[in-house]
Amino acid sequence: MRILLPTPDYPPMTGGIQLLLERLVRHSRFSYEVITPYSPGKALRIARSADVTRTPRLADHRATMAILNAVTVRRAAALRPDAVLSGHVVTGPGALAVRALFGVPAIQYMHSKELSERPQLSRLIVRHASASVAVSSHTRLQALTIGAPAAKVHTILPGVDPKLGSRSRTVPREAGPPTLVTVARLEDRYKGFDVMIRAVPLIRARVPDARWVIVGDGSLRAELEGTAEAYGVTDCVSFTGALDDDSRDGWLDRADVFAMPSRLMPDGTGGEGFGIVYLEAAMHGLPSVAGDAGGGVDAVIDGETGVTVDATDHVAVADAIADLLLDPERRARLGEAARARAEQLSWACMADQVDRLIESVVAAKR
Amino acid sequence: MDPGGLDAAAMAAAMVHRGPDDQGIYVDPGCALSIAARRLSIIDVAGGHQPIANEDGSVWAVLNGEIYNHASLRDRLRRRGHLFTSATDTEVLVHLYEDYGTSLVHAIEGMYAFAIWDRGARRLTLVRDRFGEKPLFYAERADRLVFASELTALRAGLGLDPELDPQALDAFFLLGYIPGERTIFRGVRELHPASVLTWSESAQRPDTSVYWSMPPRPAGRSETISALADEGGHLLRQAVRSRLAADVPVGVFLSGGLDSALVAGIAATEVTGRLKTFTVAYDVGDIGEGVTARATAERLGVDHREVTLSSSQVARSVSELMESLDQPNADPTLVALHTVAGLARQEVTVAVGGEGADELFGGYPRYRWMNRAALVERHVPPTVARAGAALIRRLPEKNHVGRLADVLEPAGFAQRNLDWVSGGRRTARFELYGPRLREHASAHRELKERGTLCAIDDLRDVAACAMALDQRRYLPDDVLAKADRATMLVSLEMRTPYLNRELAEFSATVPASVHLANGGKSVLREIARRLPGISDAHRAKRAFRVPMSQWLCGPLAPLLEHQASGGSLIGEGWIDPRALRRMIDAHNRGAADHSGLLWPVLVAGLWLDRLRAH
Repeated sequence: MRILLPTPDYPPMTGGIQLLLERLVRHSRFSYEVITPYSPGKALRIARSADVTRTPRLADHRATMAILNAVTVRRAAALRPDAVLSGHVVTGPGALAVRALFGVPAIQYMHSKELSERPQLSRLIVRHASASVAVSSHTRLQALTIGAPAAKVHTILPGVDPKLGSRSRTVPREAGPPTLVTVARLEDRYKGFDVMIRAVPLIRARVPDARWVIVGDGSLRAELEGTAEAYGVTDCVSFTGALDDDSRDGWLDRADVFAMPSRLMPDGTGGEGFGIVYLEAAMHGLPSVAGDAGGGVDAVIDGETGVTVDATDHVAVADAIADLLLDPERRARLGEAARARAEQLSWACMADQVDRLIESVVAAKR
Repeated sequence: MDPGGLDAAAMAAAMVHRGPDDQGIYVDPGCALSIAARRLSIIDVAGGHQPIANEDGSVWAVLNGEIYNHASLRDRLRRRGHLFTSATDTEVLVHLYEDYGTSLVHAIEGMYAFAIWDRGARRLTLVRDRFGEKPLFYAERADRLVFASELTALRAGLGLDPELDPQALDAFFLLGYIPGERTIFRGVRELHPASVLTWSESAQRPDTSVYWSMPPRPAGRSETISALADEGGHLLRQAVRSRLAADVPVGVFLSGGLDSALVAGIAATEVTGRLKTFTVAYDVGDIGEGVTARATAERLGVDHREVTLSSSQVARSVSELMESLDQPNADPTLVALHTVAGLARQEVTVAVGGEGADELFGGYPRYRWMNRAALVERHVPPTVARAGAALIRRLPEKNHVGRLADVLEPAGFAQRNLDWVSGGRRTARFELYGPRLREHASAHRELKERGTLCAIDDLRDVAACAMALDQRRYLPDDVLAKADRATMLVSLEMRTPYLNRELAEFSATVPASVHLANGGKSVLREIARRLPGISDAHRAKRAFRVPMSQWLCGPLAPLLEHQASGGSLIGEGWIDPRALRRMIDAHNRGAADHSGLLWPVLVAGLWLDRLRAH
């Protein structure tokens, strides 16, 4: 089958959506044509099975999306694909137009953030799409809340690269100070960096030599460094900046707990769509401490692969982390369970589920 | 050593007004320490006796203030096996201490000054809240550390009255309050906000450290004002909600301004039944807040009370109030707040106020003027600016034109800021000084201290720097000291939702330029715009003001006259009688408005007369 995949997010840009869609294309049985704006960054290392059509990226985001949607319709007219899979709600209009003009089924991928940021557009898209894919039970609930027909929303959890964490399986952890690690772009407040900084002094009161390493960079970095200073924790909080994959994996191998207490923001936005990074940490044998709201609860099973806590309460976060640091046996048990679960959630498994959904939608149309 | 706890008992007796409901004393079996507490019962009225201990009596605590998140902390501590004997917030402290040691400060949200005695470690820990809402004084005497929530109580524990600190008095006449850790008494210090003091039997000396500060303001957030208001509004609502929690009646101080109207607007939707609000009005001048407050109260549908501070009452009120203060504070609104607190106390035990909003959210017009001055400094050569300022000062009209001259006049940040907040007293106060004060007066001490507090290296963000300076100086040492004394003297607890840690940290993530847009406090205005009942009447900055100039040549004139003729300030050589006489005459003739200096003289004079009478 030939599938058209319009999306604003695709490598070489980095991020969860980009990774998910690229892995989907890579592991799918179908032939994809990806339509996405030009993206600055290093040379592409993306699936060979996909043809990628690049559209102009303009300063005006709306104009960029309008062109992307228009090109989607034009390519559909030329290709007559079996289905169009929209990677984000902003490419939903193009997908719906393709469905209306050519009778091609339109399937909508939903991540989370976009549903709360663009509720009106999202409502329109999910009501008229042939089917929708939600990356977590949280996203599914969001979709149902804005009026998506329940029977048409399918929860398919993302996966993780099977090679990740291979070193941690064979090489014992280095002795060192108890280490918490967070891997994230420093762009979204909901990821709980501020709550972590407030929690660090309380963690250190119980685990005196604990340290927190934040791998990633972004516009919040200066603010967070200032907050760390205000709390007097600069000696045990390190911002590494953006790292290459090997260096990032090195920190995941050295860490004891992965901490990213994401929360829903007061206006209803935020929260993880799923939080692929929790699975990546799990592949390194790390238990996670995550927020108990948002899609993270599908990535981290409370009490089995980590701990989920009220991420607005820094004392709760501190206690959850310190409890884990002080209990090596429990930490190891949760970490191994996290790895075992992550190994089951492969990209291939996810792609297979999406393939089967597309097949059923196409078959139903026929 | 205080074997029978007699000193502690005497200290507690000196501040019955802070806690009229109960008293308790704990004396360590080894006689290393005695602590006493007076209690204004607000949470667990029946079961909250202080001092309170942990399960085995190894940790003891006394608390002045409130821990707003005590309920959730108690739940967590219970799950970890701690046993509680009361529902009070104070008991949470001893168990938190067991788990986190002095890092417990990072778990609590509130306004507090507390002491924890660790019997095993023979260590005392004193802690003051992040913004300085609750006072905590201490002094070292030989092998003793004496501490208290008020200087009146501390003096009772020291025995002999300490000498006045001339440097503190000089700072008082400059600023109208005593800044930093200095107090009116030599050798007695106030613990800085957000600080911990530890004293152990082995070291025998206090060790202080700061546990929190306002985060520095970053380059800026890109969110819209609407998104900022979403986040800020949510945090403010949470803060108001937490400050309404009590086992006794709670009300709101409602002035004519935005800050208190916003608090009242939120509180009205959070309480069951009708919210009670309180305001003060005057019978002279044209700056009464009564009309606006009344209109707001009507729109909000709250149960509103108003008290008029009449000219006939003001002399007695001022006299009584200043004589009751533990150290002088010349904030002109002190007397008004004390009056409205008295009214509120008839119906409630806790009142919520709008203190802190101006300093955190950019409410004072001086922030914008400081920006304008910096702009001039960057683009206009100093000689031209100086000549322009001189020219403008020759013009007859004074007010706004005078401000323009201030903006043009070249001056460093610290000096300009100080001139602005001291209203000309930086130089004028020296004329008043008698020989005893003159030898200790310094033109540079406060400038230097301000420079240390806020080293400015970027003139493009002077407003942010001025806000930071106010947060560390004016807010704790004047605004909050005034609020604490004005209310506690009538046994009323005041709570301030704007001084919530998360809300304050949020305010620091917003660039000063965003705060100052739209006439200042733009984020709060946007939050208010979404609330029914908060009208455009609150758009203009309305300080909680009093008709001081009229009072000083009217009802307060006899008190001032007494100071000029036979007050202790004159008698002890602090103030020059002829200079004071000249200043009073000029003020009474209307030749000049000297209320900026005459009011501090009256405040300090009444206070000192009372001290000497005892």
